[in-house]
Amino acid sequence: MARNLSEAARKVLLLGQCVPTVKHNATKIRVKRLELDENLLMFFKKDEFYYCHDPEKQCKTGDIVLIQALPQKLTKLITHQIKEVVYPFGDITDPITGKKVAKEKYREDIERETEVYGKLDSTFDYNKAPPRGWQEGKKDFTAKPTYTKYHVFDENDPYAI
Amino acid sequence: MLRCLTSAIVQCRGIKQQAKIKWVRPDYVPSYKAEKSGDLENIPKISDDALGLDYTLSGELKDAPESVKKIFSVAHLGPKEYKTLVKEALTERVKQHQYDDTTVEFKVAKMTAQIRCLQETMDKHPKNVIAKKACQELIDKRKKTLKLLRQYDYKKFEWLLEKLNIEYKAHPDTYNKLSRKESLKKLTELHCEDVRNKKLDEYRNLLESQQGPFLEDKLNALKFIKSEQMELQLPVTVTDQDIKKVEKQFNEWKIKNEIKQQGKKKKRHLLLEDSE
Repeated sequence: MARNLSEAARKVLLLGQCVPTVKHNATKIRVKRLELDENLLMFFKKDEFYYCHDPEKQCKTGDIVLIQALPQKLTKLITHQIKEVVYPFGDITDPITGKKVAKEKYREDIERETEVYGKLDSTFDYNKAPPRGWQEGKKDFTAKPTYTKYHVFDENDPYAI
Repeated sequence: MLRCLTSAIVQCRGIKQQAKIKWVRPDYVPSYKAEKSGDLENIPKISDDALGLDYTLSGELKDAPESVKKIFSVAHLGPKEYKTLVKEALTERVKQHQYDDTTVEFKVAKMTAQIRCLQETMDKHPKNVIAKKACQELIDKRKKTLKLLRQYDYKKFEWLLEKLNIEYKAHPDTYNKLSRKESLKKLTELHCEDVRNKKLDEYRNLLESQQGPFLEDKLNALKFIKSEQMELQLPVTVTDQDIKKVEKQFNEWKIKNEIKQQGKKKKRHLLLEDSE
C-alpha cells in the first residue's frame, strides 16, 4: 500500500513558477499551495520549493512549468525534473484565438494602430526582436537573486544592491 | 591570572574571529544617485545655441540675425526649455509613432529624462529636499512600470533597457539593514567554502597523480597475464578490448598531466618574475 502510494506520488505532475537561484546546475521552482489550519478552519497559502534537473536550460526565471519527481535523487538537493514549459514569462498567448497578447491588447492591433499613424525608425518590431535573454547579465539582472551589499569585494557584483 | 589581566587590558568583545577576515563596510550611496537608480548614461548634451522646441520649425528664425536667434536659444529661454529638449531627445528613441504620448515606452522615456535632470540638480544642490523627493518617487515609479512591462512583454522590456541605457535589478527578498555581525557571518561562510574547495582540490590532485602509475602497472600486468595464458595454453581471460581500454585511459591521463605540468611551470615563472 505504502509503496503504491509513493510510486503514485512520484508520477504526480506539479505546476510551479521558476524563481531566481544562485545554483548553476539546477533550477528552483516554487509551487504554491493552500494549507488548512484545523483550528481556524481556514486555508493559508504555503510555498514549497523544489530544485529541478534541467540540463538543456529550457526554463528561465518567471516561466510557469510542469515538474515531476526523478526516479532517483540526483543529489541531496535535486529531486525533480522539468517536464514542460507551459507559459513562458512575458510572452503571453491568448488561449482562445491563439494570438499573442500584450496586456489587454493583441499585438496585431497595436501594430495596426502604429501603422495608421505612420511607422517611424524608432518603432518596435516584434518580428525583428531577438528572443528573450539577449540582455541577461548586461542590463537585465533578474536571473539571480539580488541582495544588500555587505562587503567591498575586489570585483563588483551587479546583483548586490 | 595572566589571561585575566590581558583580557582586562585588551578589549575583545563580540565574535572572536579565528580566521583572518577583514570586513570593509560599503560606503553609503544616496538612492537618487545614478549607480543606484540604474541610469548608465548622463543627459544628452544640448548646445546653448539650440532653439527652443516651439521655434525649431520657424522659417523666419532661420534668416534672422544672430541677436534674435540668441533670444530664442535655450541659454536665454532657461532651464525649463532645456529639460523639454532633453525629454524630446530621449522620447525620440522609443516613440512608436509621431503622435505617441500614451504608450509605456514613451512614459518610461519621459520619466528617465526627468530623473536624469533631477539627478543633475541634486548633484549641484545636495540639500534640495523637494528635488530629492521628486527624484526618488520617479525612480520608484519607473521601476514599478518596468516590473509590470517585464511581466506582460519581455521582448519590449529588453529593447527598452537597451534603447534608454537603464539597468534593471529585481527587488531583493528582504531589505535587511546592514550589520557587522551578519556581514561577518557571510564572509566566514565564504572563507569556509574556500578552505573546503582548496582541500578537495588538493586531494583530487593527489589521487589523479597516483592514477598514471597505477594504469601503467595494470597495462603491464594485463599484457603479462595474456602472454602467460597463451604460453601455457590456458583459456585466455584477458581480451584485447580490456587492454585497449586501459591504454586509452593511460593516454588520456598523460595528456591531462602534461597540461597540468605546463600550468604549474607557468605559475612558477610568474611567481619568479614577481619576486624579481
